[in-house]
Amino acid sequence: MGSRRMTMNAHDTNADDWLEQVLRTDAREHAASYLPDDGFTARVVERLPQPAALPSWRRPILIALWSLVAVAVIAALPMWFEDVFRGIVTLFIGQRIRLADFALLLTLLGGITWSALFLAARTE
Amino acid sequence: MSPPAVSDAQLIARVLVQDDRHAFSELVRRHQSTVRACLRKLTAGNAALADDLAQETFLLAYRNLKSFRQESKFSTWLYRIAYNAFLADARKMKESPLPDDADLDTLVPEDEQDAKPVARAASLKVDLERAMATLSDAERAAIIQCYHNDLSHEEAAVVLGCPVGTVKTHVLRAKQKLKARLGAWAPAA
Repeated sequence: MGSRRMTMNAHDTNADDWLEQVLRTDAREHAASYLPDDGFTARVVERLPQPAALPSWRRPILIALWSLVAVAVIAALPMWFEDVFRGIVTLFIGQRIRLADFALLLTLLGGITWSALFLAARTE
Repeated sequence: MSPPAVSDAQLIARVLVQDDRHAFSELVRRHQSTVRACLRKLTAGNAALADDLAQETFLLAYRNLKSFRQESKFSTWLYRIAYNAFLADARKMKESPLPDDADLDTLVPEDEQDAKPVARAASLKVDLERAMATLSDAERAAIIQCYHNDLSHEEAAVVLGCPVGTVKTHVLRAKQKLKARLGAWAPAA
């Protein structure tokens, strides 16, 4: 492989150029010699930056905060639900809803529900 | 040698997606020899400096792995980082003295007539290394990429960050200088 590429590189030189031979021989020896690892890889891995991770004390605090937010949302939900329901009723009163529109709405809701369930249930 | 079961590209993907340090250590293990050897040539045989630069090369590779577009081989990308690390270090150490040129004007084979072939080859190797040390950084790098790392002129141009024509010029000049330095080794016409 080496000599093939070398020949391409050396197209501008005389084939029996003695320096070319010296360089080729040196390159062959260089390619054949393998430097033993001798702990080099371990030293590199040791110096890699630490992975970004939350400190252990921040995790329970974050969980507690999100739980608080969830409780607040749940407490406020009945009022919101009523508002949303009134809005929908106001929107649709006086309008004719066809069966096809209703079916489309149901299909969309079903699709969204299944997608949400799939996303929540997948492991990765 | 059979190709490894897991390709470089797969290992790189694992590092990028899962921050898999084991995968990165495998990449280092695979390429450490060629990168360190290349840097030893660039630093004219300074093994300690070459290993420091090789460590720096792999750390930079880890930090910038996202920018590796897989347009070239991973090893070529590593050579480029290694060469840039070498250049940055060379700029810092510019004031440090170069090898004594007085001894290197023309390297003469020792006891050429009596030397056995093995001793003669070893002696030529030493003289070649000393002659390589007298080349400019760019000339030495061009020779190393084209001969020792077995890159085409085009690939070497990518590694060295210069046009192909410049690589060819560096190789030509380097060979002219080496010829002059090692003239005594040339076979009689």
